[in-house]
Amino acid sequence: MSDVESDANLEADAHASITIGKPAADLHALWLRPETQSRIWAHFADVRVVGDRTAEWVAKGPAGGEYRWQTLTKANSPNELSWSTLDKADVANQGVLTMRPAPGDRGTELYLDVRFDPPGGIVGKAISKMFHIVPREIVRTALYRFRALALTGEIARTDPQPAGRNGGTDH
Amino acid sequence: MRALCWNGVNDLRVETVSDPEIINPSDVILKVRLSTTCGSDLHLIDGLIPTMREGDVLGHEFMGEIVDVGREVTKVKRGDRVVVPSFISCGKCWYCQHDLYSLCDTTHPKPELQEPLLGYPTAGIYAYSHAFGGYSGAHAEYVRVPFADTDCFLVPDGVADDAALFISDAAPTGFMGADFCNIHQGDVIAVWGCGGVGLMAQQGAMILGAERVIAIDKYPERLAQAEAFGAIPLDFTKVDVIEALQELTGGRGPDACIDAVGMEADGTGVQKVYDGVKQALHLETDRGAALRQAMLAVRKGGTLSILGVYGVMDKFPLGLIMNKGITVRTAQQHGQAYVDRLLEYTQRGELTPAALATHRFSLEDSPKGYHMFKHKEDGCLRSVFVP
Repeated sequence: MSDVESDANLEADAHASITIGKPAADLHALWLRPETQSRIWAHFADVRVVGDRTAEWVAKGPAGGEYRWQTLTKANSPNELSWSTLDKADVANQGVLTMRPAPGDRGTELYLDVRFDPPGGIVGKAISKMFHIVPREIVRTALYRFRALALTGEIARTDPQPAGRNGGTDH
Repeated sequence: MRALCWNGVNDLRVETVSDPEIINPSDVILKVRLSTTCGSDLHLIDGLIPTMREGDVLGHEFMGEIVDVGREVTKVKRGDRVVVPSFISCGKCWYCQHDLYSLCDTTHPKPELQEPLLGYPTAGIYAYSHAFGGYSGAHAEYVRVPFADTDCFLVPDGVADDAALFISDAAPTGFMGADFCNIHQGDVIAVWGCGGVGLMAQQGAMILGAERVIAIDKYPERLAQAEAFGAIPLDFTKVDVIEALQELTGGRGPDACIDAVGMEADGTGVQKVYDGVKQALHLETDRGAALRQAMLAVRKGGTLSILGVYGVMDKFPLGLIMNKGITVRTAQQHGQAYVDRLLEYTQRGELTPAALATHRFSLEDSPKGYHMFKHKEDGCLRSVFVP
């Protein structure tokens, strides 16, 4: 791992950007579709839609720990979506997704900012320890998965697949 | 089903594993008819590439028959005999739409493993470590193929299985290497390596109109095959390659040089010992004797086309490239851009990839096949496995 990676471990804020060859309106609609959130965050949390624009998140930590929170998502404008956690969140967080036209025929640029506020104000390393994944990877991977979903209708997966371990299958 | 699994450095075993299943709607399941060894597998087997896991099913070069299709698949169907490039490409993203298929933006299931190494994730590839996606491989009875409409190519009548097999990887990789040379009338192309990819690069250069193709290796049977394809063979253990290339080009040097060797390059003398020690100590994963020689040999303003697979080479004579004004072209194979064309060349007899299939084994004997391939025993160019 490079120095940049170890520095990323210390961040409780995460920022990532990605370009997707689709118009912003399509991406805006796809982001708000209930099943989208559960699919793009699956590397990090189980997300279940519980109401209009509200979702229940369960993130698994190492050694069986579980962190729960609910979020409310808002469409601030055609080019901006945001969410924040409701009261009693185990790990309060907020996110803002901004969209801008990409140059030429490249579609739309997406910028995602997520801020975690763990209980007691623990910052930095604690986040990656709690979730077993650094915040930067959480958001970059989610955007990668979102792009795959937007362009192809599916997200690359390798489970279950044959392997000479775990009784013959990777889950 | 039965499958060839990697269980650690030089530890290959055929084991019983689960059958693959349709996961995404654009997937198909292929009944593998033939699969083959690739030089790049040796890096995995030798433990030079990290992020392999014990139990990974090997094999990224294969062809077969479709036996099950996902609900979104429309272009191919059950019963089709198809060949599949080793990189998995969606056909929809910017890279696929610009024929840069091995750089596909959507098919890597574990982008977070590769991003720190390369800056951006590449396409996923079958059986090439988890940093390259961790997809299960094709040295097995069945294999799952995602994005079948983009990645499965119907094999036409008149192209036998053992020819179609190499249009999965060796042929498109080699042909792409020749394509990178932007060949013009009168061009002389030198190719380092007469393995599967090198031989296909040589035939590719001829198809694309090279005046002369020079093939460099040290194994007599490989040089003989290159000569049979119409190339001029050079044994680097018997001649000074740089001098010989100048002699064959009126002192100009080849217009383009193709490195189809990569990190298993056998150099000679001090450089070989030095490189070998560094590799053994994991100071760097590349040796690169062929690449260094190609850079020296190529004419001023010429093209260097790199097909050999490299890890992290930290000591690289960049000044040679700069001062000679060399154009470097390289990529993992953008196979989907070439397969249809290569099947046509094969049908017409201009490309003869079946010549690579020198040894055939049952899947059960595949560890023996890899051993023979690795040690180039009995003139083994490629081991082909029949599940």
